Amino acid sequence: MSSMPNAIDIENLTYAYGKSEAVHGLNLTVRPGRCYGLLGRNGAGKTTTMKCLLNLLRPQSGSVRVFGMAPAKHEVAVKSRLAYVPDQIAFYPWMTVQETLDYLASFRKKWNRRAEVELIERFRLDPAKRVSALSKGQRTQVALIAAVCPDTELLILDEPTSGLDPIVRREFIETVIGAYQEGDPGNRTIFVSTHLITEFEGLIDEFTLMDGGKNVLTLEADQARERYRKIRARFAGNPPGLDLSGAIQVRRDGRELELIANGGSNELMLRLQQYAPEALSVEALTLEEIFVAALQSSEKA
Amino acid sequence: MTVFVAMKLHINFKSGMPVYLQIVDQVKSLAASGALRPGEALPSIRPLAEALRINRNTVAKAYGELESNGVIETITGKGCFLKSNQSPLRKDVRRRLLAETIDQLIVQSHHLQLSRAELLDLVEERLNALDTKRKEFA
Repeated sequence: MSSMPNAIDIENLTYAYGKSEAVHGLNLTVRPGRCYGLLGRNGAGKTTTMKCLLNLLRPQSGSVRVFGMAPAKHEVAVKSRLAYVPDQIAFYPWMTVQETLDYLASFRKKWNRRAEVELIERFRLDPAKRVSALSKGQRTQVALIAAVCPDTELLILDEPTSGLDPIVRREFIETVIGAYQEGDPGNRTIFVSTHLITEFEGLIDEFTLMDGGKNVLTLEADQARERYRKIRARFAGNPPGLDLSGAIQVRRDGRELELIANGGSNELMLRLQQYAPEALSVEALTLEEIFVAALQSSEKA
Repeated sequence: MTVFVAMKLHINFKSGMPVYLQIVDQVKSLAASGALRPGEALPSIRPLAEALRINRNTVAKAYGELESNGVIETITGKGCFLKSNQSPLRKDVRRRLLAETIDQLIVQSHHLQLSRAELLDLVEERLNALDTKRKEFA
């Protein structure tokens, strides 16, 4: 395991467009085989970060490495081992779906025809249709197929589902990620940015939450749901004056109390139980709720 | 059958329990209730991952755990199958493992203010419920 380099290493990355800093001192590491989410609002610095990995932008300070190599020095070696779907997809409008895929395949050493056929069929795409006649969702599907087929070790997806029909987008992102990972189970790495977190809830193993160009929080998804808990308690009268240290958010509403804890939810539950609440419940926060809670507490800090 | 298993499993992110453990627990309880019988196939990894809308790595991890617990076995090229319920562990080890879980139950029961008799009644009731389910699948 130790001999295998990380898929991505970002150290102290800073990038500014003119005077406005888009990424400021970002650190993150993506181990091979993971499905890693780069989460944040629009303008958090996600796209800039990805462009630095692809040598589309040169970091002003800090470093990025892909498979242990600097993309600026080893551009071809790096790019041949990854596939990238940008947030803005551009195809030659006069080409058909099949011509577009064949054209993109011509730049690659390997091309997985079986995955291509399977995905075209699953998305019910017409290979003979011109790409200019496709809907936005269908164009994204073509771009995703083109990213899966070269059988690369790393797949970088920048907001792959934004601007699409909510029902369609969930389904096809799962299909694409499933097809991609199936090529070499356990070894394929996905680095995906999104602000539509709910759609990626079960797909992401680990994530970094970015805001204002900085890393606000990096956690494994399971660990995050274990730590971030929402506790609700209802009392017979007004909630007693409890010691609620340990809660990162407290909301009182009449006889009810709602707390958000970042770790230590068991101790909070025990303390609440001593005041004999009528009702007491606890649940994990979803990744989306964790995102909101973490941003709010980082803004307060 | 495998479609049926996929339908029976569901992931609740709000439970806060790691996703792979939810699958492990649910497969174990399907086996205990007789909904899944020895020799029957589990869904393959990719379709199950897609049906549950989760990462295939998570399903693979759950199946790995079930295999090392002796609940399922993988037959190369064929898939995963439920094993007959014969634990390789000695009886005293099995008793000790279960005692740990029961201790947690007792602590929980204390905090929920259930008396000894109420807890024992509840255990009896749940065992009966499982028996009823088993009869349904028999």
